[in-house]
Amino acid sequence: MSSSPLLSVRDLRVDFAAHGGRVQAVRGVSLDVHRGQTLAIVGESGCGKSVTVQSLMGLIPTPPGRIHGGSATLMGHDLLASKMIDGQDIRGRLVSMIFQDPMSSLNPTMNIGDQIAETLQVHKGLSHADAFRRAIELLDMSKIPEAGRRAKQYPFEFSGGMLQRAMIAMSIACEPAILIADEPTTALDVTIQAQILDLLKELQAETGMAIVLITHDLGVVARMADRVLVMYAGEIVEQGSVDDIFYRSAHPYTLGLRRAMPSNDPQMSQSLLAIEGSPPDLFDPPKGCGYHPRCEHAMQACLESPPAYGLDPGHSSRCWLHHEQTSQRPDALYFQSSQGADHDPLG
Amino acid sequence: MWKYTFKRIVLGLVTIWFIATATFFAMHSVPGDPLSSDKATSERIRANLEAKYGLDQPLLSQYFIYLGNLAKGDLGISFTQENRSVNDIIREHFPISATLGILALAFAALGGILWGALTALYRNRWPDTVIMLLVILGISAPSFVVAAFSQYGIVNLNMWAGTNILPVGGWGSVGHMLIPAAVLGLSTMAYLTRLMRSSMLEVVNTDYVRTATAKGLPPALIFTRHQLRNAMLPVITVLGPAIAGITTGGFVVEIVFAIPGLGRFFVEAVQQLDYTVIMGTTVFYGAFLVGMVILVDIVYGVIDPRVRVDQ
Amino acid sequence: MTPPPALDPALLTPLQREAQEPAMTRPSLSYWADAWRQLRANRQAMASLMLILMLVVFSTLGPVIWNVDPSSQDLDQVGIAPGADRSVTLWQPYRPWSGPSDSLQYSADTLHQLTLATSANTQAVRLAWVQQQDASAYRVYRNLYPVSEVGSLGLPLATLKTDSFEDRLDLSPTRYYYSIVGLNSEGQEVGTPSTIAVEVRRVITVENARARGLLGQDEAAEIGDRINLALHPLGTDYLGRDMLARLMHGGRVSLFIGLFAPLGFMLLGIVYGSVAGFIGGNVDQLLMRFADFVVALPFLLFMILLKVLFGIGPGESGIWPMLLAMVILLWPAPARLVRGQILQLREQGYVDASRLLGTPTAYLIGRHMLPNTLGVILVTLTFQVPGAIFTEAFLSFIGMGVAPPTPSWGAMCNEGIKSMLTRPHEILFPALLISATVLAFNLLGDGLRDALDARMRGSDSA
Repeated sequence: MSSSPLLSVRDLRVDFAAHGGRVQAVRGVSLDVHRGQTLAIVGESGCGKSVTVQSLMGLIPTPPGRIHGGSATLMGHDLLASKMIDGQDIRGRLVSMIFQDPMSSLNPTMNIGDQIAETLQVHKGLSHADAFRRAIELLDMSKIPEAGRRAKQYPFEFSGGMLQRAMIAMSIACEPAILIADEPTTALDVTIQAQILDLLKELQAETGMAIVLITHDLGVVARMADRVLVMYAGEIVEQGSVDDIFYRSAHPYTLGLRRAMPSNDPQMSQSLLAIEGSPPDLFDPPKGCGYHPRCEHAMQACLESPPAYGLDPGHSSRCWLHHEQTSQRPDALYFQSSQGADHDPLG
Repeated sequence: MWKYTFKRIVLGLVTIWFIATATFFAMHSVPGDPLSSDKATSERIRANLEAKYGLDQPLLSQYFIYLGNLAKGDLGISFTQENRSVNDIIREHFPISATLGILALAFAALGGILWGALTALYRNRWPDTVIMLLVILGISAPSFVVAAFSQYGIVNLNMWAGTNILPVGGWGSVGHMLIPAAVLGLSTMAYLTRLMRSSMLEVVNTDYVRTATAKGLPPALIFTRHQLRNAMLPVITVLGPAIAGITTGGFVVEIVFAIPGLGRFFVEAVQQLDYTVIMGTTVFYGAFLVGMVILVDIVYGVIDPRVRVDQ
Repeated sequence: MTPPPALDPALLTPLQREAQEPAMTRPSLSYWADAWRQLRANRQAMASLMLILMLVVFSTLGPVIWNVDPSSQDLDQVGIAPGADRSVTLWQPYRPWSGPSDSLQYSADTLHQLTLATSANTQAVRLAWVQQQDASAYRVYRNLYPVSEVGSLGLPLATLKTDSFEDRLDLSPTRYYYSIVGLNSEGQEVGTPSTIAVEVRRVITVENARARGLLGQDEAAEIGDRINLALHPLGTDYLGRDMLARLMHGGRVSLFIGLFAPLGFMLLGIVYGSVAGFIGGNVDQLLMRFADFVVALPFLLFMILLKVLFGIGPGESGIWPMLLAMVILLWPAPARLVRGQILQLREQGYVDASRLLGTPTAYLIGRHMLPNTLGVILVTLTFQVPGAIFTEAFLSFIGMGVAPPTPSWGAMCNEGIKSMLTRPHEILFPALLISATVLAFNLLGDGLRDALDARMRGSDSA
């Protein structure tokens, strides 16, 4: 990647106060988002993917939440430092967000048009009438039929899919550089899911915005993403291009995810395989690699945190199996042919 | 919206009819039939009563005479006070009770919303702790105790100042209204504060407030447009019961502060077993409360689009 | 890039796993066990629970320990504050008095024309004064407060022509200010009043003291001996009745109504609401419409009606009609609540699942519906108790509750409010007990709600 990233996050750490201790939700996440790119963050529920983006948006309630390490820079703004002061200029204007459940994510006592218009009034200083007119255009862009009439309706008069379109219209109102979509299709019917994803792609092509897509659905990843981060237990275990992740999985967890997903890939076994065990309680995370209690290839070394091994440009995996001295080389995993040829940009 | 309002009003009228019917038959089921008994104090009142209620006729005809009178807005005549109709009594005393009640309700609602929102914003910090402590004390003290002790306070204040800063009782000036209205509204305010606090805490954690934050709205706008408005909905739904509570609470406050309102008059009628006044006032109070509940429902409909649009 | 650090080959051997999967770090608890754990951790709620138990013991076992009749009057100690002096001097029986004997000497230069003829005690205060030239008659006044320049002289006791007066009117052991004013032939007050302060001593005859058990029948007693009157730890009310005994017996009424009225109307409401919710459809609509009507019925009217129907006269207590009226009139609120819960539960997946498995309806209700509404019902019940106690107090306060002399906290407040300025203890104690009970139930209800609320339970592990 030649251009400098829009968003650059380094070693982000977030935890939450809980009954008798702290839950370490995010444990040192680093990521870059580039212009026009779609970055997918994949993982099981509770792996910290939502917390990562929500802490960047300043949506983590503090307390009990706490960002206790790392940095995040968005187009020259320090996101973590200026959360309260500049946050309003950044949120909704430079970076906007859509959520999992469109039904509850809109104010039930305000009509849709007003909810879109208020963003424009705040960020662009438009009058209410102008903002409302623009809101109707945005609804139209988001493929909502009869946008003029629908703008005056309330959320309970919309279906889930229509509401998610309205949410998208709202989020692109100020032409943000980055749109964060936190499981945007999880609550929707499968047919609607595809329409929403297509809409996102189309709007991305029109506006050139970057999308950060949070999902646990590899199907959605395959359809949308340019780059993929795989998260487990609050850490990024593997990252790479969408092809790297799907055809050259280098982390046992990524492989586990793929095996759990229906596929017509002849290389994969015919029956779906569940990953044994359950995700760790981040109240007391396992020592070393978070995945080792469930990993079939676990070694004594896995009680120490593995470094990120760069495999190909932009493709890295945090797993001791990639250490040059390791003799275990499971066939299903991808290994770099020549050691140390590349470096991992995120170290 | 109009259909909804119309439906509520029709239902309200049916409710008033039910109250009137229940009142009538309950009164006539009392052994010895208080209306026809010798309890009426003078011959003339008795004669008036008989003419008015058709006491010599069968119960059912009496019922229809009674309903007919009600439909005309005639609530009957007093048992113990000659030449005084229930309508006169209400006309004379109700405005005083209503003034007191409106003041108390305004005090309770504004205070409840304000304190409730404040405690939710300062959750688990000292303003929250202090206000919630006062609230729980306010809820736990019966209104007549608060009334008695505040009167005691006024007496001491006047003694300390050497002049009458505030009147101890009676009615007339603004000074007469302040303390009784505050006492009357106190427990309702405490209740609304609690309700508003929990409702506010719920709203603060909703997805749509998160959306508003993600949109980059300034906190003041999030507070007024997205939090306060939605958090107030449950408060509005309990305003009906709150008005009922203030109405009955008014009886006590009117007695303690010697305010010549309808509540005090009603309690006196109850103590003197002035049956016609009890019946008339009961139906009046019932109708008043039904009317208030309808009004609250309509206000709710204006604020919550979900009620306004569907049905 | 720095080359990866070399590893000890031993580390690259397969991991020796412990015998079992690492257990979940936090133990899982059943719904009620967890609720109880949360409640126990709530200090306010536990203190409230203790307070409620203490109040129940106070009013149930209290009268057994403090075995004093709550309606018997101690006329020697009327309206005394707690901790007041209860010493009394033995005295000879009252003998009539016809004025000062001649042997009494008045010094002419006495500042006060008014003099105490004999020692003053609660049997009688005997006053004598020097005749004035311009007065044809005299008026005697008594006051509890010092007579100031402008203030009134107090209660006019008598108008008479003699130069002495015996006051036997309702004397208490306290300081009185007696004044006399001369009256001219037209009956108008002339000249300046003359005032003395008189300290009245409490006395009792030996006979009386024996009759009241203050002195043993055989115990020797001399006139002038000091003995103690009956003990009233919290004082007496305006009729000389023991406050502590009345508070205990009053607690029975208040707590009985407070606990059983909500229990009664909650039960009725639960049955009504679950029937409506379970049958649903038009029956549900009809039942709920009726509930709406009952809510609109005025409460006071039915209290009066039931009082008349039950023929409650003076001296009979109105506990049962009050309880019945509350049950008849207050069931719709819990009925609505339970109906709402049942309707909600009917839509739940696990109920559908259970139904599909062919579960009998009774089991469905007993296993899935009731346990899941029980929390809400319990919390509502706790919050209804203060309401019922207030209602009892309110009705007793306006004279529509329990009939005197049965004590209840509300009725005691009603009596106490009349003498609040002079004897604040009479309203203070019952008011405190009502407030403490209501406070305890409110805090317990808060604690229960927090402990049982499933959403709250999840929040500390988010």
